[in-house]
Amino acid sequence: MNNIMVLGATSGAGKTTIAAMLCRHFASRGMRVSPFKSQNLSLNSYVTATGEEIGISQAYQAWACGTEPHWAMNPILLKPHGARGMQVVLKGRPLTDVGPDNHAPREMLRDAVVEAYGVIAARSDIVVLEGAGGAAEINLSDRDIANMATAEMADAPVVLVGDIDRGGVFAGLYGTFLLLPPERRKRIKAFIINRFRGDASILAPGIEKLEELTGIPCAGVLPLSQLRLPAEDSLDLGRDRGTVAGTGDGQVAWMESLEQLYTSSKEHLDYALLERIAGTG
Amino acid sequence: MTSSNGVGKDYWDRVAEKLSGPTGSKESCDYYPCHHHGQDCTLCFCPFYPCDDERLGKLVESRTGGMVWSCQDCLWAHRPDVGKAVKERLSISSRPSINELHGIKKEMEQRFPIAAKPLMVLGATSGAGKTLLVAAICRILNDRGWRVAPFKSQNMSLNSTVTARGEEISRAQALQAQASRIEAEARMNPVLLKPKKDDVSQVIVLGRPYRDMNVPAYYSEFTTEEGPKVVKEAYRHLASRFDAVVIEGAGSPAEINIADVDLANMMTAEIADAPCLLVVNIEWGGAFAYAYGTLMLLPPERRARFKGIIINNMHGSAADLRSGIDELERLTGIPVLGVIPHIEHTLPDEDSQGLDDRGGEGVRVGVIRLPHMANFTDFDALEIGGGASVTFIDRPSEVAAADAIIIPGTKNTVADLQWLRRKGLDRAIVDARGKVPIIGVCGGYQMLGGRIEDPNGVEGDEGGSYEGLGLIRSVSRFGAYEKRTVRVEGTMADGEGEVRGYEIHMGATESEESPLFLLRSDRGVRGEGSISPDGMVMGTYVHGLFDRPPFRSRFLSLAGNSGSRSVIDYDATVEESLSRLARTVEEHLDIDTMLKIMEAGP
Repeated sequence: MNNIMVLGATSGAGKTTIAAMLCRHFASRGMRVSPFKSQNLSLNSYVTATGEEIGISQAYQAWACGTEPHWAMNPILLKPHGARGMQVVLKGRPLTDVGPDNHAPREMLRDAVVEAYGVIAARSDIVVLEGAGGAAEINLSDRDIANMATAEMADAPVVLVGDIDRGGVFAGLYGTFLLLPPERRKRIKAFIINRFRGDASILAPGIEKLEELTGIPCAGVLPLSQLRLPAEDSLDLGRDRGTVAGTGDGQVAWMESLEQLYTSSKEHLDYALLERIAGTG
Repeated sequence: MTSSNGVGKDYWDRVAEKLSGPTGSKESCDYYPCHHHGQDCTLCFCPFYPCDDERLGKLVESRTGGMVWSCQDCLWAHRPDVGKAVKERLSISSRPSINELHGIKKEMEQRFPIAAKPLMVLGATSGAGKTLLVAAICRILNDRGWRVAPFKSQNMSLNSTVTARGEEISRAQALQAQASRIEAEARMNPVLLKPKKDDVSQVIVLGRPYRDMNVPAYYSEFTTEEGPKVVKEAYRHLASRFDAVVIEGAGSPAEINIADVDLANMMTAEIADAPCLLVVNIEWGGAFAYAYGTLMLLPPERRARFKGIIINNMHGSAADLRSGIDELERLTGIPVLGVIPHIEHTLPDEDSQGLDDRGGEGVRVGVIRLPHMANFTDFDALEIGGGASVTFIDRPSEVAAADAIIIPGTKNTVADLQWLRRKGLDRAIVDARGKVPIIGVCGGYQMLGGRIEDPNGVEGDEGGSYEGLGLIRSVSRFGAYEKRTVRVEGTMADGEGEVRGYEIHMGATESEESPLFLLRSDRGVRGEGSISPDGMVMGTYVHGLFDRPPFRSRFLSLAGNSGSRSVIDYDATVEESLSRLARTVEEHLDIDTMLKIMEAGP
């Protein structure tokens, strides 16, 4: 069993879509692939055939793998509902509401992540893991179970994605790298710069500098997509979102969009490098 | 007429004549404006002449040979406040001695600095909140008696406006000028780039079109030659006329691929010799990484300009950040001056346009952007085929402009219903009844009804019974802490057209209206949702309802006949918003330290 994890310098960096393209890529090589996101903070959810609730992104990544959405692909779903806190959906079922004075038992959450990953790993040749938010939230340190803690649990190599459309991508990637402790930095095997507009050659001096500073290669610069995939949170709405490709059925249209994105990404992403990182190359 | 050693008696008579006349701009003068539009002419003949102050003027060769003191570049004497104060201070009847004049000038310099104190606000990314933060700082300083001007050397934006003198500048600087309570002028945004296509932008210099340039040409030619000159002159002009200039950067200062040609950020900080603050938006996550990475990618002499960090757009409690802030301060040696909360406002953003001024293509579907909106991916499907455009809206004028209105699902029906009322959106939705199709999904369906009963506070913070919008005769109840999560399929209520989707909700709705859908299950067929007698108001719990074409087409066809609806002019609230913004920033930003930073300089 192999794996690879996609982490972001921020939320909305494009982790979900890049993970979906990796799912699609490994599935096209005939492998049994599953997505996995230990903890998802999202109000856009989906219901599996057996009635469990998971983040819609994992449902969509499951389809990209050619498989059915499964509760274990997203064992913890947090649904914020205002000042009082959020609803914790554990293993597809509502567990409790948590707030400032009322935390979900951390042991229980960690156990659920380990159990779910076990279920997913047992049925897959490769698991494509996705982090949550920024990977270096130093105020959360040991409380962040969704990012490096999950990478360590799964012993997964990491690809770090930065969003260039907002500017500051070099700072975001370098700062994330610098703020991680050395043993976690070592897990990062490549950077991806996402959502670029224009001629990528203008970035070359910046990429070289970043590679030199960190010793980590850049696996590609992805152009800003004109195709829309499902949004995870409402922050995405203020941005250039593109349109949905295809016709007819909404779910089919999303998959058609992904297919087009994946095909065009081959020009920009070094899939051979990503395969070597995942240990499948 | 004069020498630098003193002036003749007839010169003082002219000084006295001007000082005894009215203050302000003398637009009837043949030479007006000899310096700039809006200049004050009280000191047309300056009592301090020749001041020998090289910050204000310089010795030049006269036409007749010999040297003469030139005031051509002095704008300080033409500040309206300086003119007024000098007039009040000088006794016109008797000519003061040179020593007395010297003392009075010193006194005036204390009150009205010859060079403005600059402060620059840079962002770790675009959209960090620089624009509004600069507007807030301008307003805060002005409220404390400073004459202040905003400045952004280079702005890339399609949202421009026109100054009173017909110059084109970014809307953001015009807003900041309004916050400073002054007239906007081109010097506040001397370079405006308006993207046209691909890599080409129209370059506007000092409010007038300069030429179209592509990115490589702009960087290799403009930012190395003409650009810095234009910026320097515009800045100098403002700095001579104001007590403070609050400067905004553009994007991030740490774009290491263009560091040498980035006119808008550190080059401008160096031109103005400004101390700098770094703003980072925490809403997207990664704020600490972006702040630290930005500083670490700058060369040490540029990093040294940074005197403070501001964390912006915080949802929730700033206390949660404490350990991260301590670590960031320890790593950088730079204090965090404040954590500014997310502020709800109606001020125009630099880069976004609302439904009411954009239009949209085809059927314009407006989805109410509820604060706890859920499952809004449901509406992506409406754009399939290109016949409709979906915009997320939160202003009454946008509701009035929409061809179809959707109230989406929410994780907190009660709180979002109250939000709807606070924003005046409830009235706008009720006004649209019968004119355009209105559909509520899940929480939105619950809002459309007559009442929402939540005795145990399952949805809202407190238990209670709440009045809905009353567009559908129904009552929704939240009983126990239970959630329905199920996939469903069926048809529209007339038996035509397949519908497929899923339900995720707490609470249930009892309706007196006809059902919208007929859903099949192993227990037979049941009606689901509601449709009003005229067919224009609908509600349902089914997510994914627009995925299959039949219902999507029917919904959009109802919107097809609405034609172009009235667009209500909106936004008399800018002034109120600016003042509210300034108060919030003042409350959360360490203003005393900021003033000390301005005083100390870089």
